[in-house]
Parts: sequence; C-alpha cells; structure tokens
Amino acid sequence: MADRASALLGHYHPGKSGAPGVQGVPGVFLQEIHDLVLHQVSAWPDTVDEVGRTAVNAIGGKSVPGPCLAEEGPDAALLRIEPLKWWVVGAEAPGMAAEQGTTLDLSHSRTHIRITGEESVSLLNRHLPVDLRGKAFAVGSVASTVFHHVGVTVWHSSNGYELFLPRGFALSLWELLVETAQQFGLEVV
Amino acid sequence: MNAKRLPEGGLIDRSKPLWFTWDGKDISGFAGDTLASALLAHGEGVLGRSFKYHRPRGIMSAGVEESGALVTVGEGNRTEPNVKATTQELYSGLVVSGQNAWPNVRFDVGAVNSLFNRFFAAGFYYKTFMGPPLRGRGNGTGVWMQFEKLIRKAAGMGRASREADPDTYEHGHLFCDVLVVGSGPAGLSAARTAAGAGLDVVLVEQDFELGGDWLNHGDKSSREKRLGLLAEVEKAGVRTMTRTTVFGLYDCGTAGLYERVADHVSRPESSHPRHRFWTLRARHTIVATGALERMFAFGNNDRPGVMNVNAGRAYLNRYGVLPGEKIVVATNNDSAYLAAVELSRAGAEVSILETRTTISSQLMRQAGKAEVSLSTRSAPMNVRGSRAVTGLDLAVTAHSGWVAKGSEPCDLLLVSGGWSPVVHLLSHRGVKPVWNPAQACFLPGETSEAIQMAGSAAGIWNTRDCLVSGHAAGARAAKALGCDLPQVEAPVAGGWKSAIEPVYEISVPTGKQKCFVDPQHDVTADDIRLAHREGFVSVEHLKRYTTLGMATDGGKVGNVIGLALMADALGKEIPEVGTTTFRPPYTPVSLGALRGRNVDEHFRPLRRTPMHNWNLEHGATMTMAGLWHRPWYFARSGEGLSEAYVRETETTRASVGLCDVTSLGKIAIQGPDATEFLNRIYTNPFAKLPIGKARYGIMLRDDGLVMDDGTTWRLSETDYFMTTTTAHAAKVMAWLEELLQTRWQDLKVAVTSVSEQWAGSAVAGPRSRDVLAACVEDPSVMENEVFPFMGVIESVLQGGVPCRIARISFSGEMAFEVYVPSDYGPAMMDMLWEQARSAGGCLYGLEALGAMRIEKGHVTGAELDGRVSIDDAGLGKMASPNKSFIGSVLRKRPELLREDRPCLVGIKPRDPGETFNAGSILCEKDKVSGMGEGWITAVTHSPALGHWIGLGFIRGGHEGWTGKTLVAADPVRKGNIDVEVISPHMYDPDGERMHG
Repeated sequence: MADRASALLGHYHPGKSGAPGVQGVPGVFLQEIHDLVLHQVSAWPDTVDEVGRTAVNAIGGKSVPGPCLAEEGPDAALLRIEPLKWWVVGAEAPGMAAEQGTTLDLSHSRTHIRITGEESVSLLNRHLPVDLRGKAFAVGSVASTVFHHVGVTVWHSSNGYELFLPRGFALSLWELLVETAQQFGLEVV
Repeated sequence: MNAKRLPEGGLIDRSKPLWFTWDGKDISGFAGDTLASALLAHGEGVLGRSFKYHRPRGIMSAGVEESGALVTVGEGNRTEPNVKATTQELYSGLVVSGQNAWPNVRFDVGAVNSLFNRFFAAGFYYKTFMGPPLRGRGNGTGVWMQFEKLIRKAAGMGRASREADPDTYEHGHLFCDVLVVGSGPAGLSAARTAAGAGLDVVLVEQDFELGGDWLNHGDKSSREKRLGLLAEVEKAGVRTMTRTTVFGLYDCGTAGLYERVADHVSRPESSHPRHRFWTLRARHTIVATGALERMFAFGNNDRPGVMNVNAGRAYLNRYGVLPGEKIVVATNNDSAYLAAVELSRAGAEVSILETRTTISSQLMRQAGKAEVSLSTRSAPMNVRGSRAVTGLDLAVTAHSGWVAKGSEPCDLLLVSGGWSPVVHLLSHRGVKPVWNPAQACFLPGETSEAIQMAGSAAGIWNTRDCLVSGHAAGARAAKALGCDLPQVEAPVAGGWKSAIEPVYEISVPTGKQKCFVDPQHDVTADDIRLAHREGFVSVEHLKRYTTLGMATDGGKVGNVIGLALMADALGKEIPEVGTTTFRPPYTPVSLGALRGRNVDEHFRPLRRTPMHNWNLEHGATMTMAGLWHRPWYFARSGEGLSEAYVRETETTRASVGLCDVTSLGKIAIQGPDATEFLNRIYTNPFAKLPIGKARYGIMLRDDGLVMDDGTTWRLSETDYFMTTTTAHAAKVMAWLEELLQTRWQDLKVAVTSVSEQWAGSAVAGPRSRDVLAACVEDPSVMENEVFPFMGVIESVLQGGVPCRIARISFSGEMAFEVYVPSDYGPAMMDMLWEQARSAGGCLYGLEALGAMRIEKGHVTGAELDGRVSIDDAGLGKMASPNKSFIGSVLRKRPELLREDRPCLVGIKPRDPGETFNAGSILCEKDKVSGMGEGWITAVTHSPALGHWIGLGFIRGGHEGWTGKTLVAADPVRKGNIDVEVISPHMYDPDGERMHG
C-alpha cells in the first residue's frame, strides 16, 4: 500500500534550535508520532457502562476512564473525550452492534505530536487555556481545548503531553509550536 | 534644579555603569537606574513639552503616574513614543529623544502656543472652528476640516514609527490559587501567608524590583525586612513576575497581565518575544497596588523641578540622587515629613510649607532635629522660573482663603496633596470607590467577588499596618480556599498622627497663572471652572469636555483634584459629584502584546488539504476559502486567471478534470436512528434511501430559510456520510449536535466531523469514468449499470488504498467524488492525474468549479445567504409535503409564500461582449434607484455559452421578466450594464450530460 503522507511532510526538521536550554538540554522536545491509529467508540446513554468496559478490555486496561481521563493499556490507550465517546489510540476499535454503540476510524483525521521536556507545560500554556499544573492535569488527564482558535485534544500520558491536532490545521499549529518553543530551546525528535 | 548623584547609597549597582544617549548626548547611569533617575543625576531638567501649550516639563514623579517626562525610546522600526522616563529601566545602548518639540525639548518653537494660551481653553477648537458659518466663508465644519490638520500637528505627543515592528510578541495562560498584585509590604506579606498555607501563589510586580514602597525607604531596617520577606516568599514557592502589570481584572478571577520581557535590553534575544500578554485565572485575588501621591493646583505647578514628595524620596533612597540643593516640601499631611528629614540629612537645605495649623509634636521634633524649617498655614502660590524652578511665591491662610505672603528661593519643590489608593483594578469589576472625607481619598468599595484590597490600596498609610493588612488578606484568601489558618483583623484605613487637611488648590484672588490639574493633557483649574460655567457638570461630561484624565496616566494624578474643584464650583461635596470609572488598561499595553503571534500567516489558522503540496507542485495558484487554502487555478505558461479557468472549464467539459474538494464538510452520522434523524433534518425524504446510494438534500433552519445543502451517502443500515458546503461545515456540525443534545435526546445517533479524515477529489467530465476505472483495483465496479448516477461504492484504489466514491456532479458533467483517508491524498492524486493527463484532461481550481456551477445554476453559500427560502432557490419541489422536518412549519408563513419574493435566476448581458459584477443591483431600465428589483450573486464567463453570465435573485423569478431589458447597477465600480434575466439552468438544463 502507498505510504501515509504526514501533514508535516517537508516541514518536519529533526534537530536542535533556539535557546541553548539548561546545561545544553533543550526545554522542549517535539516529536510527531507517525501512522496514528485512532478509532472512536460511541455509546448511547443506556450503554455507556457496557461500551466503556468493552473498550477498556480492547486495550487491555483495568478501569474505564471517566470524563477527561484516560486509561493506558500495554500497547494502546483509551481516552474519554466526550460524555458518550472514547478514543482508542494505538489499536482497532472493538466490534459492536449498532444498538450497543458505534465505532469510527479517525486515524487520518489528526496529527499526533508528543511534547516532552521541562518546559512542556510552559510551551503548551502559551497557546492552550487549560490548567496544566501538576495536580490539575496529572498523568491520565485529557482535555478538549483550543489552540489558536482550533479545537484540539491534549492528553497527559505516561510518555509526556500528547497533542492531537486536526490534520488540516496541523502544519499551521506545528509552525506556531516550533516558533514558540525557540525561547525554551527545542529539539525536534 | 541642582540634582546630583550622591557618592554612595541607593539600590543601584555602581559597579555596572551603563551608557545611553539623550537627544544625541552620551550620558551614563548605573544598573538599577530608571531613565529618569539617570537623567536627574546628570541635572537634566527639561525632558518633555506639554501636549497643548508646549510648556517645558520635567520629572514629576517616580512611577507610572508620570505626566512630565514622556520621551521617545529607540530608533527606526523600534521607536516607542510616550515612554515614561520614570518607568523605563536603564540599559546600555538605550537611545532616548524628546518628543512633541522642534528643534528639541529645551528650545521648542511650538512654545509660541503658550503666548496664545488664553485662547486655548477647554473646548477651544470646537467652539472656534465648528460653529456657524464664519463670516460667510463656508460652514464651520468645512473650516474645522482645514484647521484640524494644523491643530493635530501642533498638539500631541510622540510619533510612532511607520516601519513594521521587527519584534515578536506572544500570549500565554497562567493559573493559580491566589494572585497577589503588587510586591510592597502588603503584597509580600499576603503572598507569604497564602503560600505558607500551601496555596499556589503568583505575585505580580510592575517594577523591575520587588519591594514596592520599601524600595523608597532609606533606613537599614526597612531594607533588611524587605530582603527577609523576599527570602520567605521565595522559600514558600511563590511564583513572582516582575516587569509585569496586571492591567485589568475581569470576570471570575481572570486578570490581564502585560509582561515587558525585553524592554530593558536594546533588543530581544532572537528566540524571545518582546512583550507577553498573559491571561491569568486565579481563584482568589489580592490587590495590593499601593497608593499614588497627589499634588495640588497652584500657579505654574508644572515647571521642571516640581514633583511629588515621594518621588524626591525615591530618587534619594533608591537611586542615590539628591534631587535638589534647596528644597521646599509643601504638604497637607504627615507623609511628607520623613522625606523632608531624609533629604535634609543627605545634604539638602529643606523647608516645609505646611497647610495645616497644627501638626503632631513628634513630627515637629523630627523636622527640627534634622534642621528642617517648618512654616504652618503656608503653601506655594506660584512657581518662579520657566525651564527650572528658581523660587516660589508663597501664600498663607487667612480667614477667607489664601493670601499672598512673600517668596522663597529654591531649586526643587516637592508637593504632597494627599494620597489616592490605586483602586483601579476593583473599579474594573464595576465596584465604585467610596469617598472617605477623613482620609481625603476614595477607598475601595465592597465586593462580593473573591477579591481583597490590602495595604495602602485600602487606605492604610503606615508600613507596619500594611504588613498586617497583607497578612490578613492572605489568611482570608487561604480560608476561602479551604485552608485552616488563624484569621487576623485587618487594620482600618488611616495611620497618620494628625488628620490630613483637604487642600486641592492654592488660589489667591489676584493669581493669573496657570494652575494645572492634569498636566499631561494641559487641563487647568480654570478649565474645570469653565466646564462648570458652560454646564458640563456631570463628571463624565467634565472628563470628555476638558479631557481631564484622558492621557496615558488615565487620571491618576488629576482626577481627584478635578472632582474637588467641580464640587467646589457646584457647592457640593465630592461624593455628590461622583468619580469617573477606571477602565482597563491600568497603564498602556502595546498593540503587539495584544496581537501576540496572530500575525502574518498566523493571523488566522491556516487550513491545508492533504493535497496542498501536490497542488502547488502541479502549478496551482491558491486562494483562501474561509480558512482553507484551495487551488484557484492551474495556469499554464502565458496564462492568467481568465485564460486558465476558461481552459480548465472547456477541458473538463470536453474530457476530464480533477479538482481538490477536500474542503467540503464531511460528517459521519451513525446509529440505529440515523435514518430517522436525517429524515427530520432534510426537507426531502431520506427514509427509503437504499444502501449504496447518495441523495442531494436541503436543510432548513427553524425559521424556514435554507441553512445548507449537500449530499448524504448511505454506507450501511446505520451509517451515513454527509457532505456539507465548505462554508457551512462547522455550523451544520454544531446544529446537528444541538438537535441531538437538546431536542432529540431519545435518538440513538452519533455525529462526528470526518472532514479531516477524508481527502477528496472531484473527477468530472465525459472521461471521468475511464479515469477512475483505471485507478480502482476492480474496474468492474465503475460500470454504468452497477454504478449509476447517485450511486455510492466503497472500493480500493490501485496499491490497496481504500476509497469511497459517489457518482455526483456539481459541474453538470458525468462526475464522481472520490475520497481516501487523508494521508493517502497525494497518492490518490498521483494515480488520478496520471490517467487524467493521458486522457487529455486537466486539473481545475475554484474559479473553473464556480464557472461550471454557475452555468448549471447550482447554488452555493453566495446564494444561500440566510435570506433565501427553498422556493426562492428554485428547489421547492424538494420540500416533502408528507413529513415534518426542521423548518417545515415556518416555511409556510405568509412572508415566505409571497409570490413576489426574489427567486433564483440566470442573468446575461444584452450585449454579448459586456460583463457585469457580482453585487450589482438589478433594476428596471428606467428606475435605477433604491433597492431595485433584485441582485446578482455570482458571475463568470461561460465557455459553453460564449458570453458572460451570472446568477442572482429577482422579484417573482425569471418568467415575469423574460424579454425585458434590466440594468445591472454597480454605481461604485462598473456603472450600469443592460442585462436580461433568464432561467438559472443555463447549460444542459435536462442534465443529459450528467446522466450520460
């Protein structure tokens, strides 16, 4: 099959730029996670618990994440992104009868950026009006928020901060991230 | 003014000299200086010229309330006018120049204005130039238009650079439990207490040093206390921000912050912004913004060498500058005495003019001990000297006011007319300050919001009480946020030994000098009285008539005096006159900070299709369609827009064309009730749409007017794929969500935007099927019998790329829309283009797309503009009479059933060689006036018809106008063009080509 073309193709330049950082360590690391596998699982009001359990089983997680929370399994994660919707990141959606809920492939709809480094929150809060302080947005937190007028999803995973940008806006937002991160010292991984 | 730098003392770093230029002259200062303190240390007296009269002005304060020393900083594209020298941190290489003066502020030709000052009272311009006709020379407004240019040249402040700003700016968001504004004793104390209780505290200070009023204290004990508290604050984990102003308070604990990241260096580091605009959200806010010292009005009280008392103290103790040799301190309150004593001990000859009759014995002793002479019942009446203070004419109180009595030489006059708590931030929340006659100031009013005022911002005048006040505020904040902390009583306003005497003006019956109330805008005491005589007695009218409080200091210096003088003129008390409402920003905010990174290409978020690069590589000229960048046309060598789109249209109709249609809105509609849902939102029936078929649908708003149109494809029993117009994609998505979440919660339907998931291309023209058949792995799926008009298939392109294809047409030709997951967009285009090119086809853009749809009479957002009913658009047959749908009731209201409503029509020029513009008004031939009979929405050259055509609306539709000549009136562009109205279906009206 043809290769998947990233929205950042031609604009993704690994390497260091900007301020030197602290002791040579950049404050921010940005990484595009290629070939995103993302499926949406929707439930009906009377099947939320059942669908949640089905979905969390599919990723090998333990508990069904509540609103604005995520559960990580060995290879995939489940993000509660709306009252009746989850995202399965990194795995196929479980099969489901229409009376139970629906699933939808959104793998090409988002560009997945991972942000790590000491200044991750500083960088994100230059754009995202969400309280990302440690207690308010601990590992396992998810928020639907806005980035330069564009609706985005941010998830604090065990690997860092994961940004899901609508594909059409991804390059424009990526440019802003790179430009803003210069002051902290940036390494594109 | 014989100011000089003292050999020691102050908080400046004498080991770090800094060189800067003032009007081309090289001058040095030290790290820790402000521009004002460095200039003062060099005896520079005249630093500015006043707004209207071009009077010489010098340093009047040591802070944000500065009205005299306004200068221009920087050069070229980094020129910043109207900078207060008192807040500009000194740095090496700083370039400063005077403003509003020629050739310079010391010898300003514009000072001739002062000779005519009796004519320049409040309202002078308007009364003189905007009145009735001037001796028959045209009317007043016309005269004003001429004089305005001259007046604008003569009056004013600094000039901004016309070059583009080279610096970057940014926005940011902050969150905390407690925001403390101001780092004086009260603010530091509040921050320490709140942070000590475990709360997340942000402390914001506009200065480059923390400490507030403590920075102006000269004693060792104050310095030790400041440093001790700073260490505690740091240890408690308080996040401190210096060079940052909380310029406004807004709803729910939101504060606007303006951070000057790089105004203390000659240019920002390459990766840093110059300014930041922060939005801070706090659960609790403590406002410890201090108080500002007022002057009072007397003759020539604006001369260089007149400043407030606290400024004198600041220059001495913070900057190590003795601001004068023979200093007179004029006061009506206790606060001036310590400064007088300190200045005397530093080597100046100091005398105090005290308006009160008696003061506390303690103050008298202090003054005496420091060899400060004291005259009670005395005040300055007039300042002698023009470019510098040389002496004072004095006045003393008599039984009916002030009378002149003697004079005194001096080189510096320090004035304290009382203190005004900085209640601005609370005022932003709509809380009116309350006049306190005992303290002669406005105190903060009560608020039910989580905001507290602490320290001298609450009218507390001594440092010890300010510390308690801050601690009490911190403890209350902690308690409000759930921390168990012992509470302490906050001190009440006050703190002086003897009461202040309310004095706002020293006027003697014979005095004719200008007494300034608001020096920055040249508003005098006489202007206030003039406003009163002319009836502008409301405080809001007073402000607008005289411009009192309108300059960059926002009334910090003059408002209370202005109110007091108006109250006096009205024979009322100050609270009866009221106070002007302080509005954000507290101090000026750069436009750059407000714009942040939303500039140039990032002015709006830019939306690219997955084929963006592919289109560019294949010669696309792009255009904006909403936020999308879309191909406009694909010019070949020697072609412009017109040649390109005509060729693209002709090629598509003759063989095949490809067009990136990714920007169309796409919505997945899923669930057991999806069919019922669609049947309710579309006007036409959807209940029996077979799987594998698409249907064109129109949706109305509740009011019966058309919202949007598009096709919806049935993929399975419970899965649909809806397309919307590019323009209305987000609106339709939000509308569907609203319906499901509010009206039809019982429907089991999930709607999800999949606009970003799918990349789409139109394949249009007689050879379109051949092109696609060569691209899919199984060509048999493309055969006419299995894939009829409005058919839908899910298939696989060569190489295993999954796709969905519908046979639908916007162009009027046999056409398909093919979608693949977005990351495969470029691969799809490669495949399609290889086939299309060999079939003699072309790529086409938005212009050709528009031309073909206009030929066909297909509507888009240009026609569906929110005023159009389904019948107006000529699609009334699509409204099912057999079912209810959104808008089905209100589309039948009488207004929408009127037969003379404007209906969709085609338009062509009477002369086939003519053209006309979209936006033209359609009028009857001899009645080119008013609203006309209709309007034109879209125009193009029609390659198929060989002449210009358009779409539009006209009263009653095209039948009634057949054969008549109308006028397309375009008065501001093209003029009047004779046109004819025809059916909107101008090309292949029976759709034979589409079904072919």
